[in-house]
Amino acid sequence: MSLDTISSSPLHTQPASLTTHSVPVEHLDYKYIEKCSDLKYLEKILGVLRSGKEGIYPHLTEFCEKHVEKLDPRSRALRKENFPATSASFSKDEWDQITNELQTWENEIKINDVELNKQLFFCNDVNIPPVRGSNCSIQKVTYSGDKAYSKTRHLPRSYQDWDKFDVEKECAKIDETLTTNESAAIIDDSLLKIQSKIDTTGLTEQEKVVLANREKDKGNEAFRAGDYEEAVTYYTRSVYIMPMTTAYNNRAQAEIKLQRWYDVLSDCERVLQLEPHNTKALLRRATAYKQLENLQMAHDDINAVLRSEPNNMSAQRLLEEISKKINAHIHHKPNKGKKLLIQEVEDDDDDDDDDGDEKDDMPCAGGQSAGENRQAAVRGGMGNAQKKAHSGGARGPTANKYKVKAEGEPAAVANRKNLANGNSTAQPANGRPDSPGEERTESTCASGALPPPLARLKNEGNQLFKNGQFGDALEKYTQAITGFTEAAIDSPEDLCILYSNRAACYLKDGNSSDCIADCSRALELQPFSLKPLLRRAMAYESLERYRKAYVDYKTALQIDSSIQAAHDSVNRITRLLIEQDGAEWRQKLPEIPAVPVSLRQHHTAATSSTHLHKENDTQEAARRAEARFTSLKTEGNELVKKGQYQEAVGKYSECLKLKSDECAIFTNRALCFIKLKRFAEAKQDCNSALNLESSNKKAFYRRALANKGLKDYEACSSDLQEVLRLDTSVQEAQQELDEVTALLKQQRATGSPSQPRRDITITEVEDYDEEGDAVKSSSDGEQKSTSQTINLQPSNAYEFGQALNAARSLNDTAACAQLLRTVPPDSLPQYVSTQLDGHTLSFIMKTLDTHLLASEPGVVYQLLDHLHTTERFSMVLMMLNPDERRQMTQLFEHLCSVDCEDFSQNDIKNLANKYI
Amino acid sequence: MSAPLDKPQVVSHSQKSLNYSLFDSKWIPCSAKFVCLGSSCRGTGLMQIYELQHGGIKLVKETEKTKPIKCGTFGASSLQQRHLATGDFDGNLHVWNLEAPDVPVYSVKAHKEIVNAVDGVGGLGIGDGAPEIVTGSRDGTVKVWDPRQKDTPVANMEPVEGETKRDCWTVAFGHAFNDQDRCVCAGYDNGDIKLFDLRNMSVRWEKNIKNGVCSVEFDRKDIQMNKLVATSLEGKFHVFDMRTEHPTKGFASVSEKAHKSTVWQVRHLPQNRDIFMTAGGAGNLHLWKYEYPAKRSEMDGDGEERGVAGTLNLLQNVTLSTQPISSLDWSPDKQGLCVCSSFDQCVRVLIVTKLNRVRSGWGAAVDGRTAPASLGCEQSLQSETPHQTSDQ
Repeated sequence: MSLDTISSSPLHTQPASLTTHSVPVEHLDYKYIEKCSDLKYLEKILGVLRSGKEGIYPHLTEFCEKHVEKLDPRSRALRKENFPATSASFSKDEWDQITNELQTWENEIKINDVELNKQLFFCNDVNIPPVRGSNCSIQKVTYSGDKAYSKTRHLPRSYQDWDKFDVEKECAKIDETLTTNESAAIIDDSLLKIQSKIDTTGLTEQEKVVLANREKDKGNEAFRAGDYEEAVTYYTRSVYIMPMTTAYNNRAQAEIKLQRWYDVLSDCERVLQLEPHNTKALLRRATAYKQLENLQMAHDDINAVLRSEPNNMSAQRLLEEISKKINAHIHHKPNKGKKLLIQEVEDDDDDDDDDGDEKDDMPCAGGQSAGENRQAAVRGGMGNAQKKAHSGGARGPTANKYKVKAEGEPAAVANRKNLANGNSTAQPANGRPDSPGEERTESTCASGALPPPLARLKNEGNQLFKNGQFGDALEKYTQAITGFTEAAIDSPEDLCILYSNRAACYLKDGNSSDCIADCSRALELQPFSLKPLLRRAMAYESLERYRKAYVDYKTALQIDSSIQAAHDSVNRITRLLIEQDGAEWRQKLPEIPAVPVSLRQHHTAATSSTHLHKENDTQEAARRAEARFTSLKTEGNELVKKGQYQEAVGKYSECLKLKSDECAIFTNRALCFIKLKRFAEAKQDCNSALNLESSNKKAFYRRALANKGLKDYEACSSDLQEVLRLDTSVQEAQQELDEVTALLKQQRATGSPSQPRRDITITEVEDYDEEGDAVKSSSDGEQKSTSQTINLQPSNAYEFGQALNAARSLNDTAACAQLLRTVPPDSLPQYVSTQLDGHTLSFIMKTLDTHLLASEPGVVYQLLDHLHTTERFSMVLMMLNPDERRQMTQLFEHLCSVDCEDFSQNDIKNLANKYI
Repeated sequence: MSAPLDKPQVVSHSQKSLNYSLFDSKWIPCSAKFVCLGSSCRGTGLMQIYELQHGGIKLVKETEKTKPIKCGTFGASSLQQRHLATGDFDGNLHVWNLEAPDVPVYSVKAHKEIVNAVDGVGGLGIGDGAPEIVTGSRDGTVKVWDPRQKDTPVANMEPVEGETKRDCWTVAFGHAFNDQDRCVCAGYDNGDIKLFDLRNMSVRWEKNIKNGVCSVEFDRKDIQMNKLVATSLEGKFHVFDMRTEHPTKGFASVSEKAHKSTVWQVRHLPQNRDIFMTAGGAGNLHLWKYEYPAKRSEMDGDGEERGVAGTLNLLQNVTLSTQPISSLDWSPDKQGLCVCSSFDQCVRVLIVTKLNRVRSGWGAAVDGRTAPASLGCEQSLQSETPHQTSDQ
């Protein structure tokens, strides 16, 4: 057979040249079939082979079938006539399984059957709807093909039917048809009409089981068809009839698809209450936790799954994702705590990417609480905000609660360890980690105003809550509340706590609306108490009423801005609202109530006074400072954007008071100064920035601008060159450089650079706000470089700063000494004011030590006595390096050794205390 | 490639040759028994109850009626009563208490001619609302009955006077997802399919599939209309996606020509609405699975919503006999168990295996198992099905 020629020629043409119905014998060949990719033709070959016209080749037929299947597994040619399978078609095991299964079913169903017959007498028709309006008929439209007229006629309704006539419904129907006419397609809004509750009165257990299963099946089918909403409805019906784990579990899955994470959580928890080791529920809960950024819980759940099913692929994959997220989380979250830690301990530059040692730092004293906070935040699904509030140290009105904190935290740590070691994490009811810590706070808090029986009820409730029996706890709280109101006790605090606790139960039960009601009551009693606010926020969030949730979270944050979970939620909700409402989402928000400052302060005071752990205290303060710092900074940035530079300068200055090692603040303030044409100050700030970060191109650029403003074109040029050296792509710098070079040339051409023209400068810049204009208007006039000269008789702060800088840059202590001599000591603070930085201070110290001390110790004392009143003095002091400190100590030692009538030893000591 | 045994297998459990013509067979809900309905050689009606017993079937009860019985349903009866509604050659609708089958509990002369098809809803917990029976007859009318109302139907769908009466071959309830909405679908010998809305008492949709409609069935009666399968005389069947109706194009559909002869009946698996069995005139059964498209509806050029039909997968096919299979019924209680009657006077009990593993297509059954267990519901839901069946 000439196979090569055939297979190389186009396959269709070959058979087409022959009669279309026949297949050449040569094609009935393994090689040909293997190479042929024309499905139709192959099917034809198969037909020939099967028909046996060309002889019977069972192997070839089979081969051809396989090849067809490879090309198209659904090919109709493969449909063969099969016969029912018999026991011979199965292995013994399989067959046994089939028959046994059927036998078991047979036995069970027969028992059911008999029971059903016994119950025959109890049957009733209670819940059967009435008979349809009798004898309605539809005169059917014509059959197709027949040309007769068609018509749909509503026969007159019976009187009976008129009784049932619902005007509103009919109107609605008319509306419906109107709308459908507009959109023309029939919109199926009828899903809404599926009742989620079913009347099960009069049904036997057996019937309920059947019914519940059927509803669940319907849910499954809807799920497979992708109608998740519908699926949820059917699962809900199913569990309404009879709670089954499978239905809850499946509903959880459908809710995952709908991204209703809190519903997922509550469903999974229900399953786990019934079956503590249900892996699917654990997995789904883990998924929900993951989505809710509750990574630690997710992690625990997955570990529980992997313990029972180590090879569960989806669990492994989920674990991987979560671990990744947790790592990312660790790198982000505790940065705040870490930053402060470094600052306080080492006075180091803060460094955003020092992730590496993050973990190592966690166990050490300062870092621990930060770590703990993070874990606390990560833990505890619905209750995480409360928990966080707890460890964050923000509490309700009764101050004695704070004592509990110390116990709560180690408890949480212990708990955490338990979880990590991994016994019985799968039991949410018992091991729920978020509840004990939290509830202890409430249970141990003095129930002073409560009469003993009510207090007992409340404690029982707390206990039950702790055990995860939310329903029972709910009952206890309700009893307590009723008792409370009946007894007419006047103690809003306690009632508030009761409501708040009951709200927590509702929240756990997924009953968000009741939770909201209780929280609102609690808040009426005690406005701006934190827990009810947070719980209500969560309830709103789970009801997808994001605006209200947002408002509540925001209010809570006003009370205590350190609740990380609330921050997270706010961020999440913001995103959602932006998606929902677009850019104007804020306008649709209800008003956020302003929390009275007294309350906030109360909180702060309370927290700081009652903290037991010192490192907590410092950390708290540090974190607060951090928060304040960030807010000031952002406010400053905002102001800059609005063009209100003066105000922005104020904000930035305050920032620097809090924390003077943030390069960005200096550069930002420099920008403001430039805009305000206060170039000297701008330059000063740029210098400070460059001291902190020697290669900050923004600082260089702004210093260049400042220098340009100060008409120091050379310095300007060198700064710009520096900028370009750091980053060649800065076009502004290039432009500026060109401009400045031109100016420089002009200047050199017009004036003698060496000629000191300081008098002019002095007058010129007397009011330096106008200086910029002056520069522009009379640029070819009296510019000169002051860079190399020092004005030793400054008449204002600016000149003094200029002179001081010049002296310092030349390291000319003599000039500085001269300068200091001329300055009246009492005005020194004003003169140095904003320009004071570590280097300047140390320079002054050096000058005092080397030049003035010997000759005029009185002046030195005077100067020192005034210098420490300078605006940012304490801050600058903190920034001194050890060498500079040593120098300072030396100065005071020398000062001590000098005898002078202007001051006594005691005075020196007092003064030294202020410096060292 | 798919190993043959990973597909669902149709296993012949037991079969029994009878001495009369079988027209219909129905499982008695919540039992291991089924009813066979037919006509004896003497021209009387026969009603037999069989029970599965130790791998075989055994006759437990037999009743003879005056007229041959064409069809029956338990659909309108409560689970406690389990009354069977039957339609006979004389146009009578009877409701029987099978414990005392001598006297009907409800009886009405429903039609002038043979009752070809009967269906029930509102019983057995299937469908909210009143229990109702629908009958379709050769006299061209389709009538809805409430067993609580004597003599008159609660709804009557008949041709306009003076028009040729078409033989109604099949009827089915659907859309009964609350106590008001309910639809009846009827198929006629000329290929007409008509959907009657019982709530509004109007014709909701009409379609002609060119060949006589032998059987119609909704995938489920008690949900919002989802899918409708209609089988026809010349071996084709159509699956309509009933969720999205286009104003001019109607419902999207997919059709398949599978049997080389009439498709006599279609029955959806009660435990999975996307799997159904068609029974053919050449004595064969085809098991199908409907695969939903990625999106079930799309916008057409005019901004109107149009349904998108899915695809059909043949899961299994078997040939049981040379004579047509006249009826098929899935057990509502045991997934995969079914009974079918054929014109070779034989009743067969079949078991279809591995229905809970069916996913998409042939190969997919294998893929699904080897593929990593995803979090996707498909698998998890499936695996729960056995659990639920054993609960019953």
